[in-house]
Amino acid sequence: MFDSSQFVFPPAHAARRPVGITKGPGETTHEYTFVSRDENQVLKNGEYVYYELADAETMASGGPVRRVLGRVLKRVPVQLYPDTFLAEPEISPSMVAAMVGYDAHANELFELHVAIMGYYDARTDSFINPWIPPQSGKQIFLADDEMLTNVLSRKKHQDMGSATIGSLLTRTPAAVPIVLSVKDVVSTHMAIIASTGAGKSYLASVVIEELMQPHNRACVLIVDPHGEYGTLDQIMNDPHFEEEGDGYGSGYRADVRIYKPEQVKVRISTLNMGDMRQLLPEMTEKQQYLLNRALRKVREGKHGHPWGVADLKQAIKSVAKQKNDDEGEGSDDSSTAHALTWRVEQRFEQSFTFDDTQHLDLDEIFKPGQCTVLQLNEIDDRDQQVIVATLLRRLYQARMATERGQVHSGESYLPYPVFVLLEEAHHFAPGGTEVVSTSILKQVLAEGRKFGIGVGLISQRPGKLDADVLSQCQTQCIMRIVNEIDQKSVGAAIEGVGRDLLDNLPALSKGQVIVAGAAVNTPVICRVRQRYTQHGGESVDAPDMWRKYFSRNSAESQRRVDAPLNGNKGFNLLR
Amino acid sequence: MVIGKIVKSDSHINYVCQIFGPHEWEIQPRPADYAFGRFVRVAVRSLPTDETENAWNMFAEEPPATTTYAVGVIYNTILQNPAYGVLGPRLSNETQVEMFSPDYISEKAVLTYILVLGMMEVRTPGDGGQASQEVVTTMQGVPSLSLELDSQVETMSDEEVCNFHYFADPAGGPDSQHPYLHMGYLPHIINQPNSLLPMVTLRIIDQLEQLFPQNQSLLSIVKRNFAWRLKVETTG
Repeated sequence: MFDSSQFVFPPAHAARRPVGITKGPGETTHEYTFVSRDENQVLKNGEYVYYELADAETMASGGPVRRVLGRVLKRVPVQLYPDTFLAEPEISPSMVAAMVGYDAHANELFELHVAIMGYYDARTDSFINPWIPPQSGKQIFLADDEMLTNVLSRKKHQDMGSATIGSLLTRTPAAVPIVLSVKDVVSTHMAIIASTGAGKSYLASVVIEELMQPHNRACVLIVDPHGEYGTLDQIMNDPHFEEEGDGYGSGYRADVRIYKPEQVKVRISTLNMGDMRQLLPEMTEKQQYLLNRALRKVREGKHGHPWGVADLKQAIKSVAKQKNDDEGEGSDDSSTAHALTWRVEQRFEQSFTFDDTQHLDLDEIFKPGQCTVLQLNEIDDRDQQVIVATLLRRLYQARMATERGQVHSGESYLPYPVFVLLEEAHHFAPGGTEVVSTSILKQVLAEGRKFGIGVGLISQRPGKLDADVLSQCQTQCIMRIVNEIDQKSVGAAIEGVGRDLLDNLPALSKGQVIVAGAAVNTPVICRVRQRYTQHGGESVDAPDMWRKYFSRNSAESQRRVDAPLNGNKGFNLLR
Repeated sequence: MVIGKIVKSDSHINYVCQIFGPHEWEIQPRPADYAFGRFVRVAVRSLPTDETENAWNMFAEEPPATTTYAVGVIYNTILQNPAYGVLGPRLSNETQVEMFSPDYISEKAVLTYILVLGMMEVRTPGDGGQASQEVVTTMQGVPSLSLELDSQVETMSDEEVCNFHYFADPAGGPDSQHPYLHMGYLPHIINQPNSLLPMVTLRIIDQLEQLFPQNQSLLSIVKRNFAWRLKVETTG
């Protein structure tokens, strides 16, 4: 990881030297092989190389020669030292070779397999495959840093709408910045997938930092079930996130609002029948019927104004009474109504999340240049799902209404796109089962693009995440994954070009990420940059905390706590 | 010490040396002097051509007294006896022949086969002292010059063997600035179609292990490799 302030672009390479010579076509259609001594050990797996393609089109137009970029897939040794030369650990095989008269400066020879990516076409911002492998004998060059900087990322470092998340792994830190296109991330969604401890929340925080910088000024909401993003409030005091006014526009300073679990409120009147089913599980058919009618009645009675638990209870009573009246004798629903009322009371009157009047105002949590963190730790899992579902529903309706010009002010007016980051996404859209937040999340992912709602999903268990949800995320950031099921589900969701990169998944270290999809031109392996703010998602240092227990001061207080209470004999009545 | 003369060649690097018999040289060589695996050298006549000779004369400087030697190893010995199997009429026995015909030349001879391993150029100072010889260049592999018939074959001292194997190679190597141990002739020894040559390689390595104790582990790699192939693989 490195500091992004170090980005300095070196001048174009004055002299380029070929690193190898093409041998011929490779195993599959879009592969070729070339042979190289690779004395300087530069042709790493995943490294980018190119050859020059002089086709009729470019020759006629007199344009620059096309450079067909490819990625090294594997290196196969062609010539190695014999095993017997490696018999003595303290004697290098080159010494043995030198002794028998072999000039040992260049001894190894490799055949390198390269996947053809194509030549970069600036008009379409994409790579165009030449559909033919290079001729045998073509010179192969190592792509220089400047070329890669230009073609791998859609945006330039620090441009408007750019998010520099790190640099290319195969090059020196800061040599080739990897810059996501924020427009594509927000319009076509993003997924961050990694095993625990691989740096998911670190990467997510880097993305958030980029979004909050003056060149983006994004409107971001983070749903944080573990309370890991509290340290993002340092953004407010960091000079990276502010800009002086230039006379035309006003200055900028990023704002961060952190909602503690007890501040996260859901107004009861925003709950629908699905939410109710989730919150009051195992309702009988009768109870569901009554509740459904009561909800309809209370909504009709209030004409869109908020209502509370009392109103709902009242409605249940009146609905039950009305039903009794309608159906006459023999159908007594009073016990059902009573049980339902009791359950509603039990569920909502004790809850600090569900409230009659208060809830999170959309215009309060969604503001450009503001990052809102909803800390949901200490909140029950089911309630978390309901919170996310109601929030996404309200957001979706507000954005839809605003875009369609149906509202021009008020609570449902939200005249700017937003980006919502969902931590532990498999919890809100689990595979194989439907929870209350699944359908609205799918709807937002499928149609959010039209209304400017971008979603970032973070999960450590892609195997547990709904496959539809994962495949809707067009930008994937995949970090180290060890579990085989998870690897497979990622392989199924990621676009075809980068599948060979996925073989590297178990080999990735902390802070290394494969980025693929809409926000970059081609899948790349990236080293995540250093955060400006402190990281909050650290694991607990258990040995350290155990040791502290035995430190002098705490040992004293511990003795006081642990002291038995039988010292005072004066109150022993049995004596 | 001179042990014999070149009498025949089988190829550019394969020569036959006839060991001097009685009265042919001041000291008659003993079998230990032409033992299997012994390093020998043969002076190669590389006199300057007339033109260069003139050039040297022009500058009136004495040309440096350097001698080029081909360095080889004895890898085979044959005892030649034309009289073997000839049971025909004999006028006198061997002692009588010596007495009655002193000018009779014996046709018995000891022939050794020499494989040329490289060349070395040695500067001999004016006084001709053996100990102060200075090696100018060393080259291992197939030499460009061939030997001549009747050239004298000399044994090499340990110091000369060391000089032939330990030098800085200007052409390359992992550490070309400093001298290191060379056995650049190994590839072409292995390529020769003779069953004794691998054995002579082992003998050479044994000698080098004694001369270069600091390179024991390096040599052991080659030695074990050869030993394995010769001893284990052939008998296994």
